[in-house]
Amino acid sequence: MLDVTESRLSADFERERLTRNIGRTDILFKHLTQSAAILALLLLGGVIVALIEGSLPALRTFGFAFFVTEKWSPVNDHYGALAPIYGTLVTSIVALLIAVPVGLGIAIFLTELSPLVLKRPIGIAIELLAGIPSIIYGLWGFFILSPVLQRTLQPALISVTEPIPILNQLFAGPPFGIGILTAGLILAIMILPFIVSITRDVFETVPPMLRESAYGIGCTTWEVVLNVVLPYTRSGVVGGVMLALGRALGETMAVTFVVGNAHRISASILQPGTTISASIANEFTEALTPLYTSSLIALGLILFIITFIVLAAARFMLAHLQRASGA
Amino acid sequence: MNDVVLADRAAAEEESRIALTPGRPEKISVRDLDFHYGDFQALKSVNLPLYEKTVTAFIGPSGCGKSTLLRVMNRIYELYPNQRATGEVILDGQNILDPSVDVNLLRSKIGMVFQRPTPFPMTIFENIAFGIRLYEQISVAELRDRVEQSLQRAGLWNEVKDKLNASGLSLSIGQQQRLCIARGIAVKPEVILLDEPASALDPISTAKIEELILQLKHDYTIVIVTHNMQQATRVSEFTNFMYLGRVIEFDRTEKIFGNPRQKRTQNYISGQFG
Amino acid sequence: MDLYRRRRLKSRIYMTLSVCAAIIGLIWLAMILAALLWNGLGGLSASVFTQNTPPPPGDNGGLANAIAGSVIMTSVAMLIGTPIGILAGTYLAEYGRYTRLATVTRFVNDILLSAPSIVVGLFIYEIVVARVGHFSGYAGALALAVLVMPIVIRTTETMMLLVPDSLREAAAGLGCPRWIGIGAVIYKAARAGILTGILLAVARIAGETAPLLFTALNNQFWSTNLNGPMASLPATIFQFAESPYLGWQKLAWAGALLITLTVLLLNIIARALTSQKVGR
Repeated sequence: MLDVTESRLSADFERERLTRNIGRTDILFKHLTQSAAILALLLLGGVIVALIEGSLPALRTFGFAFFVTEKWSPVNDHYGALAPIYGTLVTSIVALLIAVPVGLGIAIFLTELSPLVLKRPIGIAIELLAGIPSIIYGLWGFFILSPVLQRTLQPALISVTEPIPILNQLFAGPPFGIGILTAGLILAIMILPFIVSITRDVFETVPPMLRESAYGIGCTTWEVVLNVVLPYTRSGVVGGVMLALGRALGETMAVTFVVGNAHRISASILQPGTTISASIANEFTEALTPLYTSSLIALGLILFIITFIVLAAARFMLAHLQRASGA
Repeated sequence: MNDVVLADRAAAEEESRIALTPGRPEKISVRDLDFHYGDFQALKSVNLPLYEKTVTAFIGPSGCGKSTLLRVMNRIYELYPNQRATGEVILDGQNILDPSVDVNLLRSKIGMVFQRPTPFPMTIFENIAFGIRLYEQISVAELRDRVEQSLQRAGLWNEVKDKLNASGLSLSIGQQQRLCIARGIAVKPEVILLDEPASALDPISTAKIEELILQLKHDYTIVIVTHNMQQATRVSEFTNFMYLGRVIEFDRTEKIFGNPRQKRTQNYISGQFG
Repeated sequence: MDLYRRRRLKSRIYMTLSVCAAIIGLIWLAMILAALLWNGLGGLSASVFTQNTPPPPGDNGGLANAIAGSVIMTSVAMLIGTPIGILAGTYLAEYGRYTRLATVTRFVNDILLSAPSIVVGLFIYEIVVARVGHFSGYAGALALAVLVMPIVIRTTETMMLLVPDSLREAAAGLGCPRWIGIGAVIYKAARAGILTGILLAVARIAGETAPLLFTALNNQFWSTNLNGPMASLPATIFQFAESPYLGWQKLAWAGALLITLTVLLLNIIARALTSQKVGR
């Protein structure tokens, strides 16, 4: 009896020693992972601080006027951000106007209409599109799309809208091929897969029972989409669109080739312009004066703030959907 | 201090309850245990003896707290925030709820088997060896022996001896559950907690598990949570009936099912609710 | 027309539009891939891999230095970004799952994930290139690493959260300390998913141009020295495509084809990995 107890006690002691050593390593590992997480936070903070630091010279020199001045002159060392900001916003809006309806259409097709055999291949095709690097889109836009637009769509738009007031300003020539509209088109193609996959995922969260009950009372497919699917997924769709917007705003390589790189604002979207990212990409390595560099960094700061706001809003909306549908 | 207090308490219990088991010591004593999930109180003033080398069944309707009570005993609830236990759970004279008690060591003494089999994503051999290696530094030959012993004990050896290098997930559900039991036994615990171990299994596998429990009780103190009252009568010597977080009645199994003292117990046994 | 027929017509119109949208999407993809193959294959030859980037007009040359530079910087970026990403993801999924720090980190990570890559380039320029005084492959690799980290964090956390808690409880129930449980059980279970995340991260940075433009700059000659300007495929494509030289343009298309094929290949492998896991 005593023997068993003794051997049990010494076994316990061995055990205790081993577990205590292992326990210490546990704390070490925990701190290691925690530090990695904190690093992510520091990174974001670092980005913001670095951008602000780099923009200060420009912001101090030009003040608030920086945001509303169109003139951008390296010769005079005087810069205004209005044209790039305008270009960024307009190209993104054009992209959304095109990509959202098409993207929704594809998502509706995938969730309501598509025969099962097509669903996977199309889904994969969409994801392949999403994976293509943006410089490819830029190349394609520059070498293939622009010349075609210059020869076909743009002259057509110009002549069709000529007699119509306002619209003829919006689509005034000459047809360069490159310009705000082209950039917007390329962006649309770029963000399309994004919108499709998020919207499709969001559509699939609609409980089958809800859909079935609508079909059950004789609704047509369109009526189900309009009255059941879209309202149910409203926050998710909006969130997805805003994420796509965030993407479009920051896109560089796709637009740099085709936007025209002209620091001016035209009423016509067929004219060349510039976006923030295109300006930075094209001019940064040529910026000879500190003020020039600083102005470009200031542009970067503006872009970052805009995308930050859009992304934060998107995240908020998507979280709202999760809560609404999950609860 | 402990001796006097315990003697006092023991005397009080003798009075308020029927003498249950002369001679069998209490392996675990639960005293005034409360448990909270956030603001919700799931266990209220639970007092309970668990006798050494016996099988005790926890029964009761869904939500009565039987699984919660089980999970207090190896402090597995500590993995989650907002879950806390107050009171005492005495194992071999020590209150295991005390924060100074090493929880990993505790769990080597009190093993747990879950409702759904949880084989690790490793080979069958590794599943067992993993636990052993946490606590003991033994030679490869000894390790192989220990793994074989555990699998023998769990009644699984003959079925897997030729495929020890197969993945644990390649076994049938019934075999997986026995693997988990073997894994639990391998670390030489003193108590085994079973949380509805057969509820995901077919009747044949269930029968095998019940057979196993009847064999294991000779060496281990076993607590089993079960929804199946027939199962409780088949395997357990003591039964704890719970309702809404309280112990309603604790007694020998024959007594609970044959002639319970509480009306509510009677109603539950006869299927009038739950 | 009575109400019912009107409704049906409306639905048919919209559904037809929807099918058209799908067709348009597919046509776009086909057009882009076709153009890529048509122009890229024309410029592809053995010399692309063996010769360096030529001076204008660019008729005799290749992309060897650009390919090498891309491979080197991508590898370094992955070496830096992946371990940090996995560790941080582990914190979010395990130790810190319910903590305030984790919530904030997740939010910040989402921002970093979708931040414009050119801004990342500016950031690295400010803290590395401006301080050190010259462009370098290190700076380029760092910029890419900043892009890799959020991706790996996100996929690691997601994959680890997919592992059911019952497995964690089973390990803990044996008295297993957390880090052993994570290493031996959770990582193994989430292995395929984490690997997929890494592959997707590589695919993402393989084609990134903007962050390299003013960190690694570009290099006409063969150089594996990370401490100086380094050539990369995307930056080279950028330079060549915008030029008026046909030879350079041909090489730009060839380079574009190479990048696209690599990215598609990585995506396919990643997909195969995840479906294999599910199929089991």
